[in-house]
Amino acid sequence: MSTVPRPALTETAAAGRGATPRPAGAAGPGGGRRIRRHRTYEAVSGYLFVAPAVILFAVMGLYTVGYGFLLSFAQWNGFAPHWDWVGLQNYKDLLWQNPAYAPRLHHAAMHTLYVMIAVPLLTVLVSFPLAVLLNSAKRMQGVLRSVYFVPYVTSGIAVFFAWQYILQPDGAVNTVLGSLGLGSLSQPQGWLGNPHTALPTMIVVTVWGAVPVAMLLYLTGLQGIDRSVLEASQLDGAGWWRTNVSVVWPLVRPITSIVVLLNLRDSLQGFQTFLVMTNGGPGDHTNVLGLEAYRLAFLKDLAPTLGLASALGWLLFAAALVIALINLRVMRSKT
Amino acid sequence: MTTIPLASRPGRVLGTGGAGAARARRVSARVLVGLLLALYGVISIYPFLWMVSAAFKDQIEVVRGGHLIPHHPTFATLAHTWNQLHFFRYFVNSLEVTLLTVVLTLVVYAAAGYAFAVLDFPGRGALQKLFVALLFVPGVTVMLPIVLLENKMGILGTHIGLVLPFVNGGAPLSVLLMTGAFAAVPKELRESARVDGANEFHIFTRIYLPLTRPALITVALITAIPTWNEYLLTRVSLNDESTYTLPLGLQSLASENVPHYNNLMAGALIVVIPVVLLFLSLQRYFVNGLVGAVKG
Repeated sequence: MSTVPRPALTETAAAGRGATPRPAGAAGPGGGRRIRRHRTYEAVSGYLFVAPAVILFAVMGLYTVGYGFLLSFAQWNGFAPHWDWVGLQNYKDLLWQNPAYAPRLHHAAMHTLYVMIAVPLLTVLVSFPLAVLLNSAKRMQGVLRSVYFVPYVTSGIAVFFAWQYILQPDGAVNTVLGSLGLGSLSQPQGWLGNPHTALPTMIVVTVWGAVPVAMLLYLTGLQGIDRSVLEASQLDGAGWWRTNVSVVWPLVRPITSIVVLLNLRDSLQGFQTFLVMTNGGPGDHTNVLGLEAYRLAFLKDLAPTLGLASALGWLLFAAALVIALINLRVMRSKT
Repeated sequence: MTTIPLASRPGRVLGTGGAGAARARRVSARVLVGLLLALYGVISIYPFLWMVSAAFKDQIEVVRGGHLIPHHPTFATLAHTWNQLHFFRYFVNSLEVTLLTVVLTLVVYAAAGYAFAVLDFPGRGALQKLFVALLFVPGVTVMLPIVLLENKMGILGTHIGLVLPFVNGGAPLSVLLMTGAFAAVPKELRESARVDGANEFHIFTRIYLPLTRPALITVALITAIPTWNEYLLTRVSLNDESTYTLPLGLQSLASENVPHYNNLMAGALIVVIPVVLLFLSLQRYFVNGLVGAVKG
């Protein structure tokens, strides 16, 4: 490569419109024209570099979002040649008006609410102590961290079937309870077959899957805490318990709010576990909002429910946005 | 445990650890911690253990259930699932979809991240925000329009029809990670390369890409694993059994009237093993990526 500045950039730069030049304070001997030309060149290359991402985003992102938004104001079964515009009727039907949809939705909303309360809470309650303990273990830390990560790595459909298998009436969970002398706790209908245990069981499985990432975040947070802070607290006479509760816990609060936000969002929108393991059953006892939207969109054959499905999707979006905003406020007020 | 107040004073505990009571207490505390950590370890891998167990049992033994270690371990179940139940074909399909998604993601969002981090162009900030905002749109909200659109475009049911939305769905995280990585490269490198007459594409491929290899591997990993496991869009997109990916293959095994759990778990194992291997060999990148993604 030659060290002499060559006008290699001209062919692209010539095509550009004159980008507004900054006050050329840093202008070298080449003068303002070369800087302007360079800025145009940079802008053109910038657009070229983002073009593939933007095109894909326009088609798969913006178009589909806009399309879904419009569809939420219409009635359509996916095959009819045109949409019937119904205004806000889909939203009204879902929220209170239509006896075929509103009660089901309220039911599913209650389940979703349980999940949204229990999953973030339990995830924090398990993963923070786990991270504290793991952080204090000097040997085996790497191995244990990998082991704790198995639920995340194997998450997805395969491990849900494995759960389903061990939660069966004659599955491993019941067997273990029996051999521990806790046979009275075992579920003869299977943990997912009994309407009373199905939702709590699903919550446990969800928490099991959520702990790895939360634990990892806490662990990095703990390792970032200055040692002198902990030693100072111990010199003040605080024991292990006190140090963790009144020094460490407040220090990792930003991580707690991230963990809570992530799990709130997943609990609100996620339904894959439910679709695979219970499909909402038994008798709609584990039906959640995301699953209901999926059903309205894809499992209603020729019924004109596509608009309803879109409307429900947008209600979920609105709820996710509200959660994100609340979380932002909480995080700001604490820092 | 009762101790003399003085012995529990932190000065002593931190110091030479002279008092025997304090030492006993510390040892028993360590044992308790070890037990708790081991217990959660067992909970973490418990379903996985049973998956492995059932995959090595035959039809009769899996129905009898009850014991984790197979009395007559057999490879026949895995072989049957792989050959007769088409899991080889599903595996190849999954590989195709995942590899295409990963390669496209790397190409498209490395370029975009480079533009966002290094190049100055009007509208840069707004565009970048738009990509990240996509994180908040629930998957189920756009799934239906995607299926309808692809139906119109004639790519519904093809693998490319899966790859395109998967790539786009990974945009927020990939853009975030790649932009961060490129922004950390010293600007002087680019300046001196420019003086040497290198054009933007060369600077990108010869200087920036080699320097951000860890971030590229991270993006590849956090794209590959969810894609490998994807089930929701795949289920409503693919109709022809010859195009099925592994998750759909599993689903069709599970929806038989009487699911054969040994075959089902063997299939599940086939799905899980590549991911576990990938994770074990590239764990470092994975952990960095997750932390970076959440904190970014």
